[in-house]
Amino acid sequence: MAHSLILWLIFSLALFAIGLYGFLTRRSAVGLLIAIELMLNAATVQFVVLGRRFHFADAANSLAAGSSNEKMIEGLIVSGLDGQIMAIFAMALAAAEVMIGLAILVMLFRELRTVDLNKINHLRH
Amino acid sequence: MTDTLFAFFIVLSLLLAVLSVTTPHLLRSVVYLMGVLVISAGLYLLIGAELLAGLQVLVYVGGIVVLLVIAVMLTQTEEITEDRAPTKKKILAALVSLAFFLVGAGTLIASPFKQDVVALKTDVSIAQIGLTFLDAGGRGYLLPFELISLLLLSVLIAGIVIARKENP
Repeated sequence: MAHSLILWLIFSLALFAIGLYGFLTRRSAVGLLIAIELMLNAATVQFVVLGRRFHFADAANSLAAGSSNEKMIEGLIVSGLDGQIMAIFAMALAAAEVMIGLAILVMLFRELRTVDLNKINHLRH
Repeated sequence: MTDTLFAFFIVLSLLLAVLSVTTPHLLRSVVYLMGVLVISAGLYLLIGAELLAGLQVLVYVGGIVVLLVIAVMLTQTEEITEDRAPTKKKILAALVSLAFFLVGAGTLIASPFKQDVVALKTDVSIAQIGLTFLDAGGRGYLLPFELISLLLLSVLIAGIVIARKENP
C-alpha cells in the first residue's frame, strides 16, 4: 500500500482540500496563513512523491519490444533528486511568504488594532 | 511494516489537518499544524528523502511554526479571541473543497498514474543534492539556487522595512 503512487497523490490532494477549506473559512488573518501553510506542505509532499515514481509499464513494454536503448530505459526510472530539490525550493518559498505575510500583518495590526478579515475591507484608512 | 506505518501516518495527518482548520482557538490550530508537519517529515523518511525530513523539521517546525505562534500572540485582541465562521459559510466552503477534491481524485484515478509505483529506498545522498545545486550544466540547479538566495535576502530586508516603527 505504501508503494502505490495513487494513494500518495490522493492523500496530498486531501490535505490540500482541507487547507482550502480552512482558507475559505477563517476569519482571522493568522488562521488564513495557517491554512496556506497546510496547502504548501501538501504540494511539497506531492513534489517529493512524483520525483520518485516508477512507470513500470513503460519500462516493461520497451524491454519486451527488444529495445536495447539504455538511455531510454534509464530515463524511465526516475531518481528522486529532482523531486527533493523542488521540495527544498518550495520550502524556502513557503518560509519567505510566511515572513512577508506576518510582517504585513503586524504592521496592519499596529494601525487597525484588529486582524479580523471582515473588518479589513478598505484599501486605505 | 511500512504499510502499517504509512496507514497510521496518513490517518493521523488527515485528522490533525481537519482539527487544525476547524478549531476556533488559533494557538491550538498552530499546534495541530505542527503535528501535520512532523508527520510529513516522517513520510519523507519513509520515502527515502532523508535530507528533506531534516529540513522539514528545521525550517517548517523550527521556523515557520514558531513565527506563527509569535504572530498569534502578537495579534490577540479582546474582541476576537475565537475564530468561528457562520454556518452557511462553513457549508459552502466544505462543498467547494469537497468538489475540488472529487474532481482532482477522479482525474488522478482515470490517469495513467494508476499503475505507477513509488520506490521507498534512498538513492540520493546529501552530497549529490549539494552538487546538483551548484551544477551549472544542463541538469543542474545553479540559477534557481542563486535566485532563491536573492529572494531570501530581499524578503529579509522587506520584512524589516515593512514592520519597523516609523521614527516621529
